[in-house]
Amino acid sequence: MAEVNYIAEAFKFMVLGMGVVFLFLIVLVQLIKLQAKLINKYFPETTPKSSVTPVSSTSDDEQRTVAAIIAAVAEFRKNKS
Amino acid sequence: MKIRQIFISLLFALVAVSSFSMATEEAQSHHESNSEQSVEKKPYESKSVSQLAGSFLETTGLYAIFNTDDGETTSDPAGASKERPMGAFESSLGRVIMILIVFLLFYLAIAKGFEPLLLLPIAFGGLLANIPLAHMAGPEGMLGVIYNMGIANEFFPLLIFMGVGAMTDFGPLLANPKTALLGGAAQFGIFGSLVGAVMLGFDLQSASAISIIGGADGPTSIFIANRLAPDMLGAIAVAAYSYMALVPVIQPPIMRALTTKEERRIQMGVQRKVHKLEKLFFPIVVLMLSILILPESTPLIGAFAFGNFAKESAVIDRLSDTMQNSLINIVTIFLGLGVGSKLAADKFLVLESLGIMIIGLIAFSVGTAAGVLMAKVMNKFSKEPINPLIGAAGVSAVPMAARVVSKVGSEERPGNVLLMHAMGPNVAGVIGSAVAAGVLLSIFK
Repeated sequence: MAEVNYIAEAFKFMVLGMGVVFLFLIVLVQLIKLQAKLINKYFPETTPKSSVTPVSSTSDDEQRTVAAIIAAVAEFRKNKS
Repeated sequence: MKIRQIFISLLFALVAVSSFSMATEEAQSHHESNSEQSVEKKPYESKSVSQLAGSFLETTGLYAIFNTDDGETTSDPAGASKERPMGAFESSLGRVIMILIVFLLFYLAIAKGFEPLLLLPIAFGGLLANIPLAHMAGPEGMLGVIYNMGIANEFFPLLIFMGVGAMTDFGPLLANPKTALLGGAAQFGIFGSLVGAVMLGFDLQSASAISIIGGADGPTSIFIANRLAPDMLGAIAVAAYSYMALVPVIQPPIMRALTTKEERRIQMGVQRKVHKLEKLFFPIVVLMLSILILPESTPLIGAFAFGNFAKESAVIDRLSDTMQNSLINIVTIFLGLGVGSKLAADKFLVLESLGIMIIGLIAFSVGTAAGVLMAKVMNKFSKEPINPLIGAAGVSAVPMAARVVSKVGSEERPGNVLLMHAMGPNVAGVIGSAVAAGVLLSIFK
């Protein structure tokens, strides 16, 4: 076998690596867009619910309170860290 | 301020003194256990007080540092097969230099606040590893035990990834998915410096392991170094974590150099609200994608996706809470001390470390620059304005890089909050560097 030019090899790695990283992310971006479209079509979000499953109207208020508390705690933690 | 400085220097002095006394104690116990084994064969002979004092003197740290040819061996967690007699420099001046370096790291962690959570345990591990005669980094020493427990088998980095996954909110990325590409551009730092490392004379495997520092991702760096260049693990991990810690120092000058004042003042709109289901599905989508494209990267991405799924599912808050708090804290302690064990003079004070530090810095800077440039290009073609600064967050130091972006942005225009916009490329950078790691692993399979 002929002598390997390592620098040329490194450039090949670069082409492959950047190619795969971008391919991965581009596919990911398209999937995210598709997913957002599908979800917002079939599960439109009318009120800021915290739950995924359709909830009965009686617990809706409670759910919203919980969501508000969760959001507040998350915000607090974010600020703290 | 002055009082603080005095306090810090006092602390250093204290640590120095205690390290010496500790060395003496450890050395003594080591000596005792040695003589215990030989006692069975040799009956105890009477010793004069001067003999006793003389043999005690030989076990002190001071003696070990000044006496260079005492036949002391290096310690390696892999066991005696990897050990060799220490050189004169390694067992004397080398230790002193390393201890001084450790003090510098203490200073950076405590007084300057550079990623103290990691830098301090690593530095203290380094201090313990440089104690003469104690062999703390050996297979039976505390550091060696920790190292064998979770670093040599890549376990701790994956646990960290799990915790990071449980802490990460993908909302900003889902709201503005195209910013994910910035996280990809920043991986150019990895592959660009791969070429640089090969030019400097490293072989391809080592060069790959070193260049992953450009991803600014500590766990990934350790994971890859373990597979491709285990001998360089210490220097690579230390370089990766110190550059992560130095994000606030290294990145802003590069960001300012590559952008105009107007570009830095660009304001970005309010992000759309992200549906709960999108967040829930996202870790599964990422994992599926990496299963299909790049199974080599699934240990990292799998742990990450699990952590995130646990968080977003919102039904196992107890577990996700453990992952993002107690578990990651425990692992961070072990990881820091274990990595610190590689700061022993005989492993760290070699020419290669210098090369690794330099290439790591280049890798990191190139990654930042590539992200910023890519963001500039995107800003030209995008309908909504994109502040080029957020490209710098494509390196995966979460959330430090995003915070730095936000800080630089608000310096130009007070009240311009880029943090959430920068978090998108930032978390994409984590995925991107895990993918890049998978590619490198697949090459050397």
